[in-house]
Amino acid sequence: MLENLQIGIETAITPHNLLWCFAGVLLGTIIGMLPGLGSATGVAILLPLTLGMEPVTALIMLAGIYYGSQYGASISSILISTPGDSSSVVLTLDGYQMARNGRAGAALAISAISSFVAAVVSLIGLMALAAPVADFALRFGPPENLAIILLGLATIVSFAGENMLRGIIMAAAGLLISMVGVASGFATARFTFGSVNLLSGLGFIAILIGVFAIGEVLHQIHRGGEKPIKATFRDLLITKSELRRSVAPALRGTGLGFGLGTLPGAGATLASFMSYGVERSFGKFKKQVGKGAVEGVAAPEASNNAAANASFIPTLALGIPGSGTTAILLGAFVIFGIQPGPLLFEQQPELVWGLLVSFFVGNLILLVLNLPLAPVFAQILRVPYSYLYPIILLMSLVGAFAIGNTSFALWVVFGAGILGYFMKRFDFPAAPMVLGLVLGPLLEKYLVQTSALGQGNLLILFHGPISATFTIAAIVAFVGPPVAGLIRRRVRAGKEIRETAKV
Amino acid sequence: MNRRTKFLLPAATAAAALTLTACGGTSSGSKDGAFTAPNDVRMIVPFAAGGGSDIAGRAISKGLEKVTKSTVTVENITGGDGAVGYSELLASKGDPGVLLASETALMTLPIVQDVAFDYEDFTPIMKLGSDYNVVMVDADSPHKTCPDVIEAAKQGEVTTGISGATGPEFVAWSLIEEQSNVKFESVVFESGAEIATALLGGHIDVAMTNPGEALGYFESGDLKPLCVLAPERYDYKPLADVPTGVEQGVDVTFAQWRGFIAPGGISAEAKQHWIDAAKEYAKTDAYTKYIESNLLQPDVAYGDEFKAFLDDYNKDLKRILDKKNDK
Repeated sequence: MLENLQIGIETAITPHNLLWCFAGVLLGTIIGMLPGLGSATGVAILLPLTLGMEPVTALIMLAGIYYGSQYGASISSILISTPGDSSSVVLTLDGYQMARNGRAGAALAISAISSFVAAVVSLIGLMALAAPVADFALRFGPPENLAIILLGLATIVSFAGENMLRGIIMAAAGLLISMVGVASGFATARFTFGSVNLLSGLGFIAILIGVFAIGEVLHQIHRGGEKPIKATFRDLLITKSELRRSVAPALRGTGLGFGLGTLPGAGATLASFMSYGVERSFGKFKKQVGKGAVEGVAAPEASNNAAANASFIPTLALGIPGSGTTAILLGAFVIFGIQPGPLLFEQQPELVWGLLVSFFVGNLILLVLNLPLAPVFAQILRVPYSYLYPIILLMSLVGAFAIGNTSFALWVVFGAGILGYFMKRFDFPAAPMVLGLVLGPLLEKYLVQTSALGQGNLLILFHGPISATFTIAAIVAFVGPPVAGLIRRRVRAGKEIRETAKV
Repeated sequence: MNRRTKFLLPAATAAAALTLTACGGTSSGSKDGAFTAPNDVRMIVPFAAGGGSDIAGRAISKGLEKVTKSTVTVENITGGDGAVGYSELLASKGDPGVLLASETALMTLPIVQDVAFDYEDFTPIMKLGSDYNVVMVDADSPHKTCPDVIEAAKQGEVTTGISGATGPEFVAWSLIEEQSNVKFESVVFESGAEIATALLGGHIDVAMTNPGEALGYFESGDLKPLCVLAPERYDYKPLADVPTGVEQGVDVTFAQWRGFIAPGGISAEAKQHWIDAAKEYAKTDAYTKYIESNLLQPDVAYGDEFKAFLDDYNKDLKRILDKKNDK
């Protein structure tokens, strides 16, 4: 272990590799900030540029883009309510509220610090436990994964809050939209109306860009634009109590993200939603979550970073991608002539350990870069909105086009933008829809696989201990809060007979 | 409303300009008479960067750049499980400056989906090689040969994993089922990596995949190869000891092929130009390196010979997939 660490350090801190690591995290931050250009697209676009480099250097840079974009994506979520990536959608809730309350600098700083803490903790986990954790992750087959997705969907109940009905409507809409295209496990095309562009579905990222970026711009134009916030530099700095309140949520988020990130399939988005749900349901300041609380920033931000790092466990230990972006990175391994698989740690110690040590270096660079820049970035809020939105629009469309090099994505963006505008106008929450969109295809895939394994009998979910536990947890999470609410109201109704219980 | 359009317009124009630069400026070649090789060539890859098609497309375009004077630029045009990229090639009819890194989706898509193209709409140039399937089980599995697995399926239930509902593995399993009169329970996954996960975790009993995707697990001893569904054994070291299905009495060979094609309606000279370039490319080290690092069998074919192979292949594919659709 120590010997390996030494090899890793020697590889990672050559001036050459340090330079490209810096380039990677910087590019990643910028890519992450741009609406629509997420880590997967960013890595895919820049992959060809790295073909002339040494494999280690190229992978250090590409991985830097990956985790760098996790930092960047939260910046645009917090400042302009336009997430750069699906895993930072949750930050548009409390993060954006904090910014509107004049605490943008604090929100950005908390997001950078929680990301860093999560990265360090999960990297230590990654280095020390990669092999046993990867072996454990193998026990997650289709039924186990299906149970986790069900639990993920159940979190809608927790963060939809008072707007339960609207939240469920939007989650259902997200699931429905995700059904467009060829059915998972079959060859049947659904809702495609004969268009080849729709065979693989409505691009998830294009919808995200449309609903958030374009929808927000249209909404702001309708209202005449948010007033620029005039906060003094001092107001933008993080306070001690904010820092103290973030510790526990960040650690909880790290744990949850690390666990979910290890599983091939679930990933950073689900982790961020679930950890937000945890803070909202069980946190010490749960009443404030949703109205601009630091917990609502620290927890999801830590969890999506931990998940991104943990997704390297199956990638490096087993050769199985833990997320969409690591799938592209695995492709890059093959292009560089490196055979991914269970022997990677043994056969390529320099590459693996060099890469892992570079994660530390990269995250440190990101922290140093992001902390002092947080108040600077927050100055964006002083710019009148009318100067901001042409830029947002342009960036969004470029991002949408870059995904598949087809102009069809632009139409999806426009359509989703109009939908997003009406959602904002009539107060339908976007976050549950994103959850539906992200989980829909996974839900369907694991449902079809589980059903094939159980030959149509879904009680197979209760056969294994892991899937049974998660399934029961999902049922409790779905049914629990409404039932608890019902009981509470009954009790109250019993005490004050005058009041009739509203059911 | 006015204010909105005012701000939307510049953005839309910029995006449109981007589309134009991405598509334009590449077509050249013959109008009348003499054919001149195009300077700028687009290599369409209908799948995302980092995937098998992308690796092939980049290898081919690099190789072609070395043997011709053209600049060959890879463009990942994704969507529709590959259909969007192929549709782009269909729209480039007659343009000798466009190529596409192709594989089995060229034929599966027209059979199972409602698309405007058929494989006969394009000009086949070169088949680089074949990626045969290897049947594999977990290291702890009691099965030792392919007939063992088939026998087990006759006795009871054997669960297989396949990548994609209509992919080459589905066809190969169907051919085995046809020949041995058995039925496997198949679970559809979305990639070779997912299948490896399910096999390693003991969620399925047996699977087949391309040797390139499984080699790491064979070397580490986590998975065990039973037979390769190829006409001959592989030369590559860890696979050389694995018998073919034919040796074991399972007479099924079905491979995914890789190659590149040009649009339909190009001149005979243009077609010959690319075939000549392809033949040159096949002699280079770059070609050998691609074939070896991806563990393909180098059964190359050019032009009409490639077309004849595709015709045969399509017959098998159509019979199996149509039967699936009737069910």
